[in-house]
Amino acid sequence: MSKMSPVKCTVITGVCIGLCVVLPMAFHAIPNGGTLFSPMHIPVLLCGLICGWAYGLLCGLAGPLLSALLTGMPPMQYLPAMLVELGTYGLMCGLLFSLVRTKKLYTDLYISLVVGLLAGRIVAGIAQALLFFGGRYTLALWLTSYFVRTWPGMVTHLILVPAVVAALIKAKLVPERYPAE
Amino acid sequence: MRTLPTGQYLPGHSFLHRLDARAKLLCLFLLMAAVIGAPSLWGYALVLAVVALLILLSGLPLRSAVAPVRGVYLFLLVIWLMNALFFDGEDVLFSWGIIQLTRGGMEQGFRVAANVVLVLILGNLLTMTTLPTQVAAALASLTKPLARVGVPTEEVGMIISVAIQFIPTLLEEAELIKMAQTARGARFESKKLVERATSLLPLVVPIFVSAFRRAEELALAMEARGYRYARNRTKRQANPLALADYLALAVCALICLAQFFVRR
Repeated sequence: MSKMSPVKCTVITGVCIGLCVVLPMAFHAIPNGGTLFSPMHIPVLLCGLICGWAYGLLCGLAGPLLSALLTGMPPMQYLPAMLVELGTYGLMCGLLFSLVRTKKLYTDLYISLVVGLLAGRIVAGIAQALLFFGGRYTLALWLTSYFVRTWPGMVTHLILVPAVVAALIKAKLVPERYPAE
Repeated sequence: MRTLPTGQYLPGHSFLHRLDARAKLLCLFLLMAAVIGAPSLWGYALVLAVVALLILLSGLPLRSAVAPVRGVYLFLLVIWLMNALFFDGEDVLFSWGIIQLTRGGMEQGFRVAANVVLVLILGNLLTMTTLPTQVAAALASLTKPLARVGVPTEEVGMIISVAIQFIPTLLEEAELIKMAQTARGARFESKKLVERATSLLPLVVPIFVSAFRRAEELALAMEARGYRYARNRTKRQANPLALADYLALAVCALICLAQFFVRR
């Protein structure tokens, strides 16, 4: 997935930022869809995996910002923590996907996704504890807000993101990672 | 193809067409802040009046100016209803099972819908009266100080302008796909979590495939027209802002401040 031209990466990142605005609106039409499935994370993870860490980081920062400005989702009080979390997702997924090469697409995807999702949650927790909550943030609160309440979202991301990558490769919209000889 | 005219530049000589792209972009940010900061119905009425005046000043047909909203009004209606009927508020007007109509929910739904409508029209006015290259150049020019710390501002400008231009199209497509999948029996409203999560697969995958197909088409068109890498592009020296640009900025800043004072 490194064969894509910079122009294509630029446009795909723009589209993924647009999807960061559109997907939460689509999911909010489903009862509790936004809270349960964290739809804004999906384009950020995909952008990092497909376009690379720099584009993923930009998507993770610009997506929630644009969405908050246009639709009020996420609310401004949650925005700084989300910027840190999503920025780390895009950065880590892109970085790991470019470094991990096991010759198996799904293994690469799952390693990058799982580590990226964990790293995002850890960095966001540290940012909450040190910057946004000023010492009033507890381990229990972190576990509740980033794991207990969001596990359906995590599971959905682990199912959806590889499925979308496979669909994009099948549609020849993204180059194959390990083309058949 | 029917969505192409939305946000597409329409050549003209109106007051809005003649304003500098940097001033228009700053005015857009100020007016967006005025929309988001609108404290009450009167705040929204003020911004609505300004938007109506801008449509007049743009010389664009009303149909074209509000085109992005026409494509998503059903979707916004659903958003408003979801907020109005499922918001967790105290001032309940009507209650039946899990449905409860609250004043807070209606207000919240109105706010979300009004914010999207007004910002979409403002963004559309910008893109219909300004060439995309001018928008990207203006974004790059305004973020130029960041280039000193290594941020590729030209590319960031291009990415943000692509994102803004794609939002109405993506909204329409998401709505179409959702309706198509509902017609095929997708159960988005199911109470079972697994069933609800499974129903998302046929919604999300086509949205991404369709969005990436559009991205591919745009990237090909850009490359065919010689666009390569934002940082290697040459551009002529930007002109200083004119008196009309400063006036427009001052008026938009005043509108923003007016929202603040209405709040008090």
